[in-house]
Amino acid sequence: MDIRAILLVGPPGEGENAFRTPAETIAGTPISLFDVLGKPVFHRMVQQMSRWGVNAITVVSELSPASADWFQKPAGARHMEAGTEQLWRVAENVFAEQVHAGAEAVLALRVGPYLELNVDELIQFHCDQRNRVTQVVDGGGEALPVFVLSASRRNDAAYLFRHQLQAMRVPGSKYRLSGYCNRLRDAADLRRLAVDGLLENAAIPPAGRQVKPGVWVGDGARIQRGARLLAPAFIGRRSKVRSAAVVTRCSSVEHHSEVDCGTVIENSTLLPYTYVGAGLDANHAVLGLKRLTHLRRGVEVEISDPKLLSVRSSSAPMRTLASAVSLTGFLPLQLLRGLFSRNSAGREPSPSLPSCNPSELASEPGAGGEREFSTDLVVARRYGDQ
Amino acid sequence: METSRPVVVKRMPERLKLKQARALLRELQPILTSDRPQLVFDMSQVRHLDAAGVDMLLHCMRETMKRDGDLKLASLSEQAAVILELTRTDRLFEIYNNAADAMRSFSHFMPAAMRHGPLHGATAPEVSSSEQKAGNGQAQIAA
Repeated sequence: MDIRAILLVGPPGEGENAFRTPAETIAGTPISLFDVLGKPVFHRMVQQMSRWGVNAITVVSELSPASADWFQKPAGARHMEAGTEQLWRVAENVFAEQVHAGAEAVLALRVGPYLELNVDELIQFHCDQRNRVTQVVDGGGEALPVFVLSASRRNDAAYLFRHQLQAMRVPGSKYRLSGYCNRLRDAADLRRLAVDGLLENAAIPPAGRQVKPGVWVGDGARIQRGARLLAPAFIGRRSKVRSAAVVTRCSSVEHHSEVDCGTVIENSTLLPYTYVGAGLDANHAVLGLKRLTHLRRGVEVEISDPKLLSVRSSSAPMRTLASAVSLTGFLPLQLLRGLFSRNSAGREPSPSLPSCNPSELASEPGAGGEREFSTDLVVARRYGDQ
Repeated sequence: METSRPVVVKRMPERLKLKQARALLRELQPILTSDRPQLVFDMSQVRHLDAAGVDMLLHCMRETMKRDGDLKLASLSEQAAVILELTRTDRLFEIYNNAADAMRSFSHFMPAAMRHGPLHGATAPEVSSSEQKAGNGQAQIAA
């Protein structure tokens, strides 16, 4: 049977998500364009279709200029870019083309949610039920933007596309999805998809080699000595994890990201091209596009301070230049610090601060109870930074 | 243990970046250099906080501690809480649900207020001026 597919990328989902931003987007960019464990969500859907033997796949996209930068052309699929508000018309034309080329059934899906379809079973259901159009629903019976259209039913197809996959001309029986489904409505869902991928609950293997059990590293990623990666974790291609940084608890650092010295990334996702500053502690969060979405608190915070969070350039020469500039700024600063710290070492202790020698404290006659502690122990105040 | 020294409550501005941090430091200098300063920063209005703002908080804490005083934070907005958690500075401050609790904490140990602080998921209630006055009658509000 000749089955073809139309994947629609770009149209936003309905309403708002839990973070009071348009559904299925982060900072105005569709979530399906972002990498999850090394590959964009819609690429994984294209791959899935190819594996099920779908003969021709056409990706139709309608993206804002900002979102278009995130679009990567998928391998094994034709791409068509629709003009503003032309997406559904282009989809209708592609359907007509595919029917003309000999398709017997066409799969039309809007890539908002990520789902694992058994295409053979779906087509079998469509034929058995003698449906004109079959809609897919999730395990709870909620509609998904996935349809199978009989090639001979052009009017039904036109009606469906003109109603933006929201209404069918003749309602038919619905196919209940038995595989994995993630609606990707917000950053929390994106995070859940990454976790499910790492824990093998979803069929999205990390795009990289497994350097130790449960730790995947993409091509060209640099992990400095002293950095610690705890399984399960994913480091995307050409990412950098600097010395003393820790990536742990199902964290995913997507391509061209950078985790600076001493930063802890725990149960978090770094979107592509994200720089996270030194000595920070990111947990239960999705970081990127100068935003931090804290999943436990349910809040999205815009961070404009490049010392904390910034976006790395997508151009390699610009990234190299930025590294060179930061290095030239860093070296003189270190030299100055070296000079001043040597000077201060020779200075008399400040009269306001009593000199504190641990060995003297331990041998103090009055401190009977403290004698049992060794001399290398320091008693620190609980709520202090010293 | 009761203390007769005044507690100064300062409401932080919406933006707490380099420029605002410098201005605040200048403004707070007399308080910071006084004997045993007791400061509460009301963070309910803070929407934009950056590294300079966090540095200012740490500087104030250091200065108050040098003079045997203390700085406490109250009514943390979600944005401020996220940044403090990200920069690992949340554990350096005593954080209270509201300014009144923070003020009272200078004279009484308040484990319940600390347990239900905004960093542990509770919502931070707004502080009314009457609530602040009801603190212990020692507050100086620096709005």
